[in-house]
Amino acid sequence: MNDLTLGERLRQRGVSRRGFMKFCAATASMMALPPMMIPKVAAALEQAKKPSVIWLSFQECTACTESLTRSHAPSIEGLIFDHISLDYHHTLQAAAGHAAEHAREEAMKEHWGKYLVVVDGSIPMGANGAYSTVAGHSNVDTMHEVAEGAAAIIAVGTCAAYGGLPMADPNPTDAVSVEDLVTDKPIVNVPGCPPIPTVMTGVLAHFLTFGRLPELDHLKRPKVFYGQNIHDRCYRRPFYERGEFAETFDDEGARKGWCLYKLGCKGPTTYNACATAKWNEGTSWPVEAGHGCIGCSEPRFWDAGGFYQALSVPTSDVGSTILTAGAAGLAVGAAAAVLNKKTKGAAVANRETITIKDLSKES
Amino acid sequence: MSAPSVEKGIQFIKGQIDAPVASFFSACVHCGLCAEACLFFTETGDPKYTPINKVEPMRRIWESEFTLFGKLKSMLGMGEKVDEATFAEWETLVYDGCTLCGRCSLVCPVGNDISGMIRKVREGFAAAGHAPEGLIGASTRAVEIGSPMGVKLPAVKAQIKHLQQDTGLDAPLDVKGAEYMVLLSSMEIMNFPEYLEAIARIMKQAGKTWTIASKAFEATNSGIQIGVSDIAKVLVSRIVDAAEELGVKTVISPECGHAFTAIRWDGANLIGRPYNFEVKHILEVLDEFVEQGLIKTEGKEDAKVTYHDPCQIARKGGVVKQPRNLLNKIANNFVEMEDGGEMNWCCGGGGGVSANERADEVKLTAFNKKKSQLQALGVDTLVTACANCRLTLEEGLEENEMDMPIVGLTEMLAEYLVEDKKEEA
Repeated sequence: MNDLTLGERLRQRGVSRRGFMKFCAATASMMALPPMMIPKVAAALEQAKKPSVIWLSFQECTACTESLTRSHAPSIEGLIFDHISLDYHHTLQAAAGHAAEHAREEAMKEHWGKYLVVVDGSIPMGANGAYSTVAGHSNVDTMHEVAEGAAAIIAVGTCAAYGGLPMADPNPTDAVSVEDLVTDKPIVNVPGCPPIPTVMTGVLAHFLTFGRLPELDHLKRPKVFYGQNIHDRCYRRPFYERGEFAETFDDEGARKGWCLYKLGCKGPTTYNACATAKWNEGTSWPVEAGHGCIGCSEPRFWDAGGFYQALSVPTSDVGSTILTAGAAGLAVGAAAAVLNKKTKGAAVANRETITIKDLSKES
Repeated sequence: MSAPSVEKGIQFIKGQIDAPVASFFSACVHCGLCAEACLFFTETGDPKYTPINKVEPMRRIWESEFTLFGKLKSMLGMGEKVDEATFAEWETLVYDGCTLCGRCSLVCPVGNDISGMIRKVREGFAAAGHAPEGLIGASTRAVEIGSPMGVKLPAVKAQIKHLQQDTGLDAPLDVKGAEYMVLLSSMEIMNFPEYLEAIARIMKQAGKTWTIASKAFEATNSGIQIGVSDIAKVLVSRIVDAAEELGVKTVISPECGHAFTAIRWDGANLIGRPYNFEVKHILEVLDEFVEQGLIKTEGKEDAKVTYHDPCQIARKGGVVKQPRNLLNKIANNFVEMEDGGEMNWCCGGGGGVSANERADEVKLTAFNKKKSQLQALGVDTLVTACANCRLTLEEGLEENEMDMPIVGLTEMLAEYLVEDKKEEA
């Protein structure tokens, strides 16, 4: 079973070639690859052998696992997920106790240097790591031990990536993130509380396709998913531009779907793909549901001020400033339009009628 | 009337730049999706065939004449120039490497009508003397003789005579007050006379009055293909004048792609006023007849058939469900081609490409798309509704030694008509 390629495995599960290609196209566009790359993605995924994945859960709430693995119908993302060899995962594995730990040790031995480690949750350093232990080992020790033979580590969720809630002031357990602890392995941060499922599968698909991790930004996040802020991609952005804001959650503006900036939306400072990828198989996302972004994928978001506090309150009347600027812009635009009309008008006025005699150069 | 020149070409292109064109150029995000939609790119793999690149000369003129930065750039001598060499280089992209099939316009994520821009940029190329010889010849014959293939009225009369002798049916000429005025394409007169017979039989059974105008029997419009609105207007006016003179209710565009675009969509804009009659494609009329129970069919084709959607009729004309309704009525084993309907792939010979001998080679390369589609389907018969598609497909199949009959849908339908009682007697 383990020798089957991903392509064979998907077909066994009744996934059509068309469905598979659709997934590849979506993956390619999620990763911002040119359409010419779709066949390459397909070919690579088709041939990919199951990589071994060891999933470590530390100080976490299991929402990351919920987000990433729980899908109602076995979606194709779900299948891809099934087809990595998830050799160790507290929540999902059938084995328990010593058998479970044995599975982890076996997987590490067999795939030493090649397995992927996925971590959700932060690691408590206080009291010699005693705040969180599994099978008698502290999280710190497990992290160090498993990281040693890993090809790469994917820190899933804001806790693993940046410390998250456990690290929030006053940080009673002295929690740290994965990158605080492991410095000699390639690390990808996939923050979010929880992160978007497609982002996770996208990173895995990239690894399967190209055998390396995607391009990362300064916070080790894959650029393709975290390259733009929510605000720039928000469908409510035009209201912001016009200075139309909801002032409370039940006023006229809120009902009309105006910008939630004044209600504390952290969209302008949050880099994530929610506005484009959306949640629950593309159904909706927080801002669409009427609540501002809380910035859950940014470092230290718990301590970044109240969720309902506007990022900064403008000192002047935004509305009229924008209107004035807009009017000035309109005037410039109108002037340019008049000029352009003249250019075109001159071209049309000077136009001669063309007959068949005017087509050949010789005549 | 001045001789064609670069200046004239640029002037004409400037005249074509309107608000939609300006917004298209501003909106282009260079995503390259239009390349994937273009069979000249997919079959040659050459990025120069990326549809938006085909209008690059127009973009340069727009940038340097209509944008602030462009104006600054050209003041500093930095802008990209459009000169004789540009026209010479792009000529083969604008005419040989584009069938105006419109697939690129449909996939553009920002909604740019790229195919429409290529049609516009052709105005400038024709004015600059960079239209292909084949199309100049066709246009000249269309204006001087009355048909791009040089078909004259006596040839039509001869076909009518054949019809009368062979079948006893009639194709009336110049009947005032007829309900329908039937147009023909040169190819139907010369290569596919079955069409005329089919029309005669169908009209007879439907009990409709119809006529062919001796002043305007030709439906095709070379002006549209070469991209000269002035010529297109002359050719369309002939049809409009004849139809209004005869006082017909409806003009029927034949099984020809660009003829439908010319008379149905471009015509009224070219002459600058609405028509006093309706224009329908023959497939729309046939579907109506079947719907209203005016014509009845009997029996069904058993061979595995598929339908090639002519771009101008399906994608640009919106006639998609009618051929399917008709085919399901007369064929037991009708299968859809992949991307059938409005996303169908072009045969490779539309938009003047088939009239342009220089483009023969690239046309056959482009045909590989259709070839692989047909091979994947494994059908016995190919049905279409455009004489130009039909000829291009026949050529392509022959070149690739694929043996497959191609039939026009109208004549196929006529074969399954329940014979009139009188004829039985």
